[in-house]
Amino acid sequence: MTLALIICLLATLIPVFFGHESTAPFWLGVQALSLGWITLTQHPLSWHVGLAGVEVLLVRALLVPHLMRRVIVRHAASHIGLLPSNLFTWGIAVSMIIFAFKFGDGARADERALTLGVVASTVMIALLILATNQQRTSQLVALLFMENALALFESLMPEPWPLPVHLAISTVYLLTVSVGSWLVGDHAVFGTQRIDVTGETL
Amino acid sequence: MNPISQLGMERPDEAPTAAYRNGASWLLPGMLVLVSLLWLSSLITFLVTPLAAMPIYFAGRYLVLDATSLLFVLVVNTVYLVISVYMLSRERTSHELITDLRVRAVWSLLFMLVVNLGILCNHLILQWTLIEVTTACAVVMMVCGKFGASRAVAWRYMLYSSMTLAITFLGFMCLVQSSALREMTMNFQIDQINRALTTDRDPWQRLGLALILFGLGGKLGLAPLYSWLPQTYEAAPTSTSALLASVQFNLCVVAMFRALQVFQDIEPGFVSQELLFMGYLSLVVAAIQIMAARNYKRLIAYACISSSGVIAIGLSVGQAAAYGVVLYVVSNAFVKSLLFITAGRMRSVYGTNDVGPLSGVIRVLPFAGLLFTGGIFALLGFPPFASFLAEMLILSGIVQAGNLLAFTLLCVMLTIIFVATGRTIFPMLWGTPPKARAPFKESLISILPKLGFVGVLTMLGTYTPEAVTRLLSAVAHSIGGS
Repeated sequence: MTLALIICLLATLIPVFFGHESTAPFWLGVQALSLGWITLTQHPLSWHVGLAGVEVLLVRALLVPHLMRRVIVRHAASHIGLLPSNLFTWGIAVSMIIFAFKFGDGARADERALTLGVVASTVMIALLILATNQQRTSQLVALLFMENALALFESLMPEPWPLPVHLAISTVYLLTVSVGSWLVGDHAVFGTQRIDVTGETL
Repeated sequence: MNPISQLGMERPDEAPTAAYRNGASWLLPGMLVLVSLLWLSSLITFLVTPLAAMPIYFAGRYLVLDATSLLFVLVVNTVYLVISVYMLSRERTSHELITDLRVRAVWSLLFMLVVNLGILCNHLILQWTLIEVTTACAVVMMVCGKFGASRAVAWRYMLYSSMTLAITFLGFMCLVQSSALREMTMNFQIDQINRALTTDRDPWQRLGLALILFGLGGKLGLAPLYSWLPQTYEAAPTSTSALLASVQFNLCVVAMFRALQVFQDIEPGFVSQELLFMGYLSLVVAAIQIMAARNYKRLIAYACISSSGVIAIGLSVGQAAAYGVVLYVVSNAFVKSLLFITAGRMRSVYGTNDVGPLSGVIRVLPFAGLLFTGGIFALLGFPPFASFLAEMLILSGIVQAGNLLAFTLLCVMLTIIFVATGRTIFPMLWGTPPKARAPFKESLISILPKLGFVGVLTMLGTYTPEAVTRLLSAVAHSIGGS
């Protein structure tokens, strides 16, 4: 579980500090794989846990990164970073991560503290991307980071969500990607033209 | 010509085009039949289900019929019925919009289905996901078609909605953490969530509650997370603006009421302070922006922010103000729909949202102008409309609670908003037209539903039937009303 959490954290931090927008789908997939790992190992294996894990792997680790890749590949500025490369934003990002793990300390248990730290730092980094990056594709990636962080929070529950809740959360995730891609892209979502997707920050 | 400026310009005497005759002309009338059935079923449920028999749980306790869900199901379905009639009348008169309207009608039906489920939901997380689904539907309704809103506006709306809902979800997670530290298990079913909460000053629980209220406040258009609202309401097609302002807004109000029903006995002071702060901030923001507004649709949008502020302040007072808040929420649903639909009518004739060219609108569009006047008076809280009674009840509740500073500030802000709105809108209604125009013929189908709204608003403000009063009181009681 600790290893999965560390992978999840690295999958957020590497693309933000060192990667380009075009690599984000890969890291979203890695994040989702670690989420699937946590989902399948956190609770005793049952058909419910199995179904939830498979759903995470299929939707979050395979389908969504694939959809995102198709949108980002056609994006005119896919070579730019998720976070502006300057010392100021890097400084804020590092401070936020330290703050997030301090926040997690309140859990008074090692694994819970680590989980809370990962969730809080992912949410903080996602908010920082939303506040500093004008590219709508990057903003969409930030939203998905945030949704993955919320899904990770589920591992803190003594029992997994009931199946209808799980299905509803996955539907929301899929809808965010579908509608977001549609807005970012053209009417024909996966059309061939290159598009300007510069917008506003929050 | 700019597509926005020719948006659905009316040609009243034109015969139905080939597009109308050959396309799916059955779609909107069919939708109207479905919506009428939905409305009728909610009305029958209201008439035959005694309040004493509630709550009634079903679908594995994921859905509940109680006073809150019954009232809001009835309100949103009534509003939707009128919006459907409006869409049908637009289909008949603005042939450029036929395709757009039909696509939008299908999505609005899905939107309404999800809203109804969301209102009936007995599970906080499930309700949260359903609100998010309505956001996705609303984005499609905004953008779809030739004359839809720009993608930038829709994207901003989606971004803010996802953000505010993520904040709310973080709040839920803090509640999980709070219960875990006390070795309790959190069940998010509304009737059972209380068991895992504590009356002690628990920081995780407080943080959770603060985030939930802050996030939901953003969805209601409360400051500081309000900036998505004016742009969205202005740019969205009229039917979508009305659905957002009157239907999705009420779904979020239900979510807020559910949070209050859970926390009112556990953290009363904390809830009150946060709502009071957001309420006042919203009123100040709305007052400043209304003073500067020269666009009637945007002005209505800012008025929606001020209404949210009044609701938040009323909720923060609770007790005596609770009945006023519920009445205010219900009357606002009708007022906002009336205003947006009438504004849509005016835009279809004048092709602009600016106030200037519409000077003397009441001479060109006598019925729409009169109805808009009625809507503005209702919005500003004039008698005999329900909003007058509701505002009086809220103000009297604040006085009874002994918060005279809050009372003074609310009165000052409402006066500023009243003067600023009147200064912009009244010349538009009764001013001298820039050029002479013949009065525009308006069909009965477009006038009747709006007259129905005015009738309901007047009825709620003068004589409320006993059954409705009991339902409103039951909802008020559930959120801490005395």
